[in-house]
Amino acid sequence: MIFVALKMLIGDRLKYLGLLAGVAFATLLIVQQSSILVGLAHQTGSFIRDTAQGDLWVMDEQVRFSQDSLNLRDTVLQQVRGVAGVRWAVPVYQGFLKARLGDGTRATCILVGIDDATLTGGPPSMVEGSLADLRQDRAVLIDHDAAPQKLRLRNAGGHLRYNDRFDINDHEVRVAGTYRASKSFFWEPVIYTTYSRALSIAPAERKMLTYVLVKTQPGADLAAVARDIHAATGLTARTNEEFAAVTRDYILTETGILVNFGLAVGLGFVIGVLICGQMLYNFTLDSLRYYGSLKAMGATGLTLIIMVLAQVFAVGVLGYGIGIGFGSLLGKLVGNAGLAFMMPWWIPVIAAIAILVICAVAAVLSLTQVLRLEPAIVFRA
Amino acid sequence: MFVRKYVIPVLAVAGVAAAVYTVRSESRPVTPAPPVAEPASSPFNTPVAGAGIVEASTQNIAIGTQLAGIVSKVYVVAGAKVTAGDPLFSIDARALSAELEVREAALASAQQNLARMRALPRPEDVPPAEAKVKEMTAMLEDARNQFALMSAVEDPRAVSQDALAQRRFAVASAEARLAQSKADLDLLKAGAWKPDLAIAEANVRAAAAQVATVKTDLDRLTVRAPVNGDVLQVNVRLGEFANVGPVATPLMLMGDTDTLHIRVDIDENDAWRITPNAKATAFVRGNKQLKTDLKFVRIEPYVVPKRSLTGDSSERVDTRVLQVLYSFPRERLPVYVGQQMDVFIDGLARPTSAPASGSAAAAPEARN
Repeated sequence: MIFVALKMLIGDRLKYLGLLAGVAFATLLIVQQSSILVGLAHQTGSFIRDTAQGDLWVMDEQVRFSQDSLNLRDTVLQQVRGVAGVRWAVPVYQGFLKARLGDGTRATCILVGIDDATLTGGPPSMVEGSLADLRQDRAVLIDHDAAPQKLRLRNAGGHLRYNDRFDINDHEVRVAGTYRASKSFFWEPVIYTTYSRALSIAPAERKMLTYVLVKTQPGADLAAVARDIHAATGLTARTNEEFAAVTRDYILTETGILVNFGLAVGLGFVIGVLICGQMLYNFTLDSLRYYGSLKAMGATGLTLIIMVLAQVFAVGVLGYGIGIGFGSLLGKLVGNAGLAFMMPWWIPVIAAIAILVICAVAAVLSLTQVLRLEPAIVFRA
Repeated sequence: MFVRKYVIPVLAVAGVAAAVYTVRSESRPVTPAPPVAEPASSPFNTPVAGAGIVEASTQNIAIGTQLAGIVSKVYVVAGAKVTAGDPLFSIDARALSAELEVREAALASAQQNLARMRALPRPEDVPPAEAKVKEMTAMLEDARNQFALMSAVEDPRAVSQDALAQRRFAVASAEARLAQSKADLDLLKAGAWKPDLAIAEANVRAAAAQVATVKTDLDRLTVRAPVNGDVLQVNVRLGEFANVGPVATPLMLMGDTDTLHIRVDIDENDAWRITPNAKATAFVRGNKQLKTDLKFVRIEPYVVPKRSLTGDSSERVDTRVLQVLYSFPRERLPVYVGQQMDVFIDGLARPTSAPASGSAAAAPEARN
């Protein structure tokens, strides 16, 4: 009987494709929107994950996100080095500065200064030049993938390249290398240089040390070390994950992204569910005549239930597969275009559960119609 | 038909496969780049960390000059080994040399004057004076003779009273003139007066002292090494003007570098954790394999404001640091004077993590 049911389904090709398209579209909508939201949320922590050579970030208690500059006193670095359980600690400077490219284009950039001696805290991988080239005079590193967009020469055309010179805060610098990093939520291009050079480039402030990056001794208890650092300096030490979470929560809640995108995700979910349920229900209603015939021929209720379920779940599973495939594909395209997209394992799972639930609801609703059906209805029409 | 029948299921399976691939590829964690060199880590359990700066064991001596002027000669190059007293550089000496000649001439003049006075009387002056005495003696004899002739006449009418008186006064006058000529001769023979000689001698000494003064100044134009050691920096060049007094960049920098000292800045909040003779290890920045144990020298008793990296003069000081001096033999590490090093000192342990309320109370004062 399942074979007959599937034959019924596939037989009307237009309706069959329509049904599949509906389910696939619903899946796509659910997966795509939530993946973009998750991707955005994930990208807020890109800088932290890329720089995660240490275990802890020491920062002012009030730091809300990774690009928040609430600087610390210089000597904090030495104090942190003196905390038991700390293997090493290096300074990180980070600040928003104005850059002026060769052709006069103005750009705001994020200048990151990493420890001079060890170059700890640098970008994850280099494309042109090497990290050690930062030791050259006036050397900075720019983002290889983001440069064409974020460091575009608006007047001269083209973009900033390897070995080009430009000004940051009226200090001449030279691109000594390009790096590749995870895409960041923050638009401003990130430019790396050494800590002391960053201090000489940046406008003088009373305190210039943004973070202390800490590596703990092997086997040390992160929470205990963080507590000791707090006791010694009065500052907060956060693990990479904690810091990324703090940043993510700040961006999602304080900027209204969660509300805006959450609404879109919710609407996508609701629309997907409605379209899908509606189409499945309609399909069963349209097939009522055939079920009537079958009933007249002596098919039992159980047989009909199995038939409807087989149809609904066949459409559900196939539609879901196609939808999730297109979702991934679209995500790849969107991701390559520089937009946020991230699909952790639970998004397809939730989408699958949602589709299954929709199918079940649609099946139950249509089954009540089928079971209440009088066989005679076939002949009445 | 057969193919068509399977298009949709194949598409669906492919879709799920694509999704699985996407999920897997994204859950791969980013591996942060390894640092170019591993930062130094403490060899102690309760370390106090500080930034150290290498200096000479005599401290870095900023050589100054006592006299300003154009540099006329530089005797050493940076890196030269010198012993105390070796000349380092000279200031142009022409003005003082000229003055020395003037002073020496004045001294010679004073000496000649003294010699002249000592040589008095001049022998040629004596015979005329003696002749004068003789002449006067003769004239006295003549006057006496005439007076005797006159007074020998017994008849008062033959000689007038007036003529007799004239002869008598002539004798007295001749006596007086003889006495004067004798006195003149004695004065001449006596030579220079003692006090005059003393004055002349004093003049000679004064002139000699002035010559010595100028010579001293000339000597001071050559600046010499105050201690044995290395010349660390030479900031004077031929023809440049060397100023007197403290200058922004020292004219020359030198110090004894056989033993190097390392001056470690310790945050005042950690100062209490330092004990005299605490063990310490220094690491060369950029290569943590290069390290050495340090020998305690002293704790500077005065806590100073931390010198900031930015060097902005308007910068407010918000941290003071305790400076601790350690030493190590130069051959132990390939480091140079002025280089920064990471230093860990075996300090006292902090009180074990205080309960939440306690640390919260301590936090605000530590943060500012």
